Amino acid sequence: MKATTPEEEAIIALQGTLRDSILESKTPRPRRVYIRVKPKANKKAVSSLLKTFPATIISTITGIDVGENIEINYHFWSGKTEVTIRTEIPKSKPEIDTITDIVPGASLYEREVHDLLGVKFIGHPNLTRLLLPESWPKDSYPLMKDWNPEHVGSLDASLEETLTIGGIEKNGGSLVNVVVGPQHPALHEPERFLFKLDGEIVVDVEPRLGYAHRGIEKGAERLMFFQDVHLVERVCGICNVAHTTCFCQAVEALGNIEAPPRARYLRTIVHELNRIHSHLLLLGIAGLEIGFESLFQYIWRDREMVLDLTEKLTGNRVMAEYSTIGGVRRDLTSTLGNEIKRGLKKLKDRLNFYREVLQSDPTIELRTKNIGILSREKALKLSVVGPVARGSGVESDVRKHDPYAAYEEAPFDEILYKDGDSWARLMVRLDEVDESIDIILWAIDNIPGGPFRTRVPRRMPEGEALSRVEAPRGELIHYVRGNGTAYPERVKIRSPTLANIISFREMIRGCYVADIPAVLISLDPCFSCTDRMAFIDERTGRKWVWSMRDLKDRRRA
Amino acid sequence: MMLEGNFFFRTLIFPGFLFLFLLTLFCDWFERKIMARMQNRMGPSYTGPFGILQPLADYIKLLTKEDITPRHAKQFLFTITPIISFSIFMLSIFCFPIDGVNIFSNYGFEGDLLLVLALVTFAHFVLFLSGWSSSNPYSGIGAVRIVTQFIGYDIPLIISTLGPAFLARSLSLTKIASSQNIPFAILTPWTFIVFLISLQAELEEDPFDVPHAETEIVAGYGTEFSGRKLAFIRLSKDTQIIFGAALAATLFLGGPYGPIPSDPTSLWFIIYFVLKMLFVIALLELVEAVCARLRIDHIMIGNWRIIIPAALISVIITVLSSPYIKPLMEAII
Amino acid sequence: MRLIKMPQMIIEVVSAIFKKPFTRQYPFTRPDVPERLRGRQIFHPERCISCGLCARDCPAEAIEMVDVNGKKMPMIHLESCIFCYLCVENCPRNALTESTIYELASASKEALALKPEMPKQKEEVAGDSENVNI
Repeated sequence: MKATTPEEEAIIALQGTLRDSILESKTPRPRRVYIRVKPKANKKAVSSLLKTFPATIISTITGIDVGENIEINYHFWSGKTEVTIRTEIPKSKPEIDTITDIVPGASLYEREVHDLLGVKFIGHPNLTRLLLPESWPKDSYPLMKDWNPEHVGSLDASLEETLTIGGIEKNGGSLVNVVVGPQHPALHEPERFLFKLDGEIVVDVEPRLGYAHRGIEKGAERLMFFQDVHLVERVCGICNVAHTTCFCQAVEALGNIEAPPRARYLRTIVHELNRIHSHLLLLGIAGLEIGFESLFQYIWRDREMVLDLTEKLTGNRVMAEYSTIGGVRRDLTSTLGNEIKRGLKKLKDRLNFYREVLQSDPTIELRTKNIGILSREKALKLSVVGPVARGSGVESDVRKHDPYAAYEEAPFDEILYKDGDSWARLMVRLDEVDESIDIILWAIDNIPGGPFRTRVPRRMPEGEALSRVEAPRGELIHYVRGNGTAYPERVKIRSPTLANIISFREMIRGCYVADIPAVLISLDPCFSCTDRMAFIDERTGRKWVWSMRDLKDRRRA
Repeated sequence: MMLEGNFFFRTLIFPGFLFLFLLTLFCDWFERKIMARMQNRMGPSYTGPFGILQPLADYIKLLTKEDITPRHAKQFLFTITPIISFSIFMLSIFCFPIDGVNIFSNYGFEGDLLLVLALVTFAHFVLFLSGWSSSNPYSGIGAVRIVTQFIGYDIPLIISTLGPAFLARSLSLTKIASSQNIPFAILTPWTFIVFLISLQAELEEDPFDVPHAETEIVAGYGTEFSGRKLAFIRLSKDTQIIFGAALAATLFLGGPYGPIPSDPTSLWFIIYFVLKMLFVIALLELVEAVCARLRIDHIMIGNWRIIIPAALISVIITVLSSPYIKPLMEAII
Repeated sequence: MRLIKMPQMIIEVVSAIFKKPFTRQYPFTRPDVPERLRGRQIFHPERCISCGLCARDCPAEAIEMVDVNGKKMPMIHLESCIFCYLCVENCPRNALTESTIYELASASKEALALKPEMPKQKEEVAGDSENVNI
């Protein structure tokens, strides 16, 4: 029973502990393992996986309606390979054991599956709604195949959440509850935080998500694959290239299509341009949040150059719409390549100036150093990803450990800082801009010739595929399942901010109220990524449901 | 003092209320333009030549907006505090020798420096009341922060004004201004620096921006105001800046005095006064542009541990070095 | 709280006062748009064969086939259009081509539609009278 690859090691380890609870296992592609177990054995499987690979983090939990049962997939990244443990539970009794006692980072994902599919997780400490509003009818689960918008009648907007959400009680004494959001100048997208304060020190916080929820996962089942690329792109404006790249890779894996090498390099270039743009945006906003307006104006002025370059390459400043299934849509000419190189070299000089400012300015130091500390053990336990994890010393870069596009050949370093405070997280992003510029320069010089797109059929075969990319904020996962038609069976998106939002509670404990914006912005929350599913807007008091037909008629009225 | 026509003209038009009001608008424009240029952008440009009418347009717009009073606010205080704070700041500027003599056509009295400082302290208390009466948690936090910050920084402000007062042997603003043949900012730069820092804190500019830090507590004490009341709140903030600049110009930069090329002298006095005020404002804006916002506990700890001792030490140094400075003061350029 | 000088930032800020501002004064000066900017599509009615592929493939359902003199031609609702250019790519006869027209603001919803006209009329830009001259 010698294990040669990590995938086999995982399968063998689980077979050892579970024996006949394992129903089947397969490895369709490198670094992707799928293991089906019996429903009662999910906790044992997960803990055995954790014992074999201690650095495992949970990526997400997908729930799919498969006729009479609900299939639950637990996706884990075990440091070397992605392991999916799946099980089926009947619709008549949708209950399963929770795994939050062994993997605390799974609490939000279980709440999401509970909210949208009605699965009850026995033993979950706080099984409440995550994304849908409080006034949503109790038995209406949008992700079921037979769900219809007409099932939801009028919503009662007066049934709003009271201040006793999620276990934080409003008590007397010296503790004060302060609500931040959904509208607040410190937040760039709407969400609600309930802070429990003792004077000026934060004792606890409870986030409430779902304000930018739009119904993308359900809507993706009604459009064909190649149209879905454009829908998925609009999950988030700032990291849109990551979403299209991830989705196209997933569909290509599903249909056994190979994108041409030139397309892979071009995807890398646009991906890195998008990352530079996102990090510069965040560094500017971080400056604004701590009151340093001049830094904000300067960094955003330099960001304009990146937007101009993206516009020349893809045709649009922010929404690139560049990747498609089978390749990319436009080519890179050599004049444009030289122009990009010139522009980026100028940006590199400006970066040195910003690095000096961030490292030596005393007011920035006072506001960000040793504030919002997240230790390495907590970061691993809560399964955080992206610059938040790398700022605490956890090696979590998909480009290095699970390479895609052209990253296997590109030379670059993974940036790690050990401090774990807000300053470290900002410095990680600054250094990553540097690395991204180097990657783009390398890719332009070494791009192979050949076609940049292959034509693909509209229908995709039955099967499933999981794709991971490193979005600017962390690990992004798309899980796509096809059923032989041109329409996908299920599209599951888990964006990085959802993984990181639990860590906010750990970071902000013990800090002052004045540190809340600074810490929150070092997390880089992108809430339109986090809540991607909704159908109703009850905040304005509208009390009816509009279907797609109504929306179309409305807008042409 | 006889109530003659000249008195009303001086008080209401020039260099009284109307002139000071227009000067407030002008300094607001100047502040925004200089801050914008430091951040490599344009600032107001389209309303009027170079955007000079922009502050006036802002106030007219505010006057046309709806004036909402929250139901739980204390109505009387909520309405009256913006007007009172604006009036107090305006009144305290009346004591400055803008064209050689102050608005009331006399040279002030001994001790009007103390009157001015006392009025400003009272005005900050009124601002605190305006935030407190709004019954909004954000306003409450902002109001408490104003008082905390001002109580702390009022002390070094007053102490550092003792330097010029000692050198001029008087507490009258006109006498301090007129005894500066060479400005005190050059003779005693240590006091000037401490004064500027305390002034920055008193005016609630970056890095001491905490009482109305937008990204944390919406707008601090001014959150619930809208329409006309908001216009008064903003006017009182701008008048506060003019007051600070006028105080710095009088105490440290020689007030309205300077080389006079030609008659009429009072016109040149005004020109010099305004120029010195603009210089002080430009300095304050420079500090604002290069600093981030400090937290409230940093500000208070910094005050008690650094600024107050620095103010005391600077006064001591001024007193000890006065025998060397005195002859310089008497020297005529 | 330490009062240390930050020389780089101070130098940068002071020198910025004397530099030209970065702002581009639109609409008095126009930016140079790159040549492949995804602007409004241009429709060539003489090439259209009424296959309806554009309407079927549009992800935002922004194209409606309307009746023009007996033939069905696409009308693009620009307020729903996401300018992804799938219609431009998929048209078998190149009846929809790309352009860099980006000033599309108009005062009414009806004007914000790219209407098909028969070949003998000169093609009109939608809502032209309200727009600034291009």
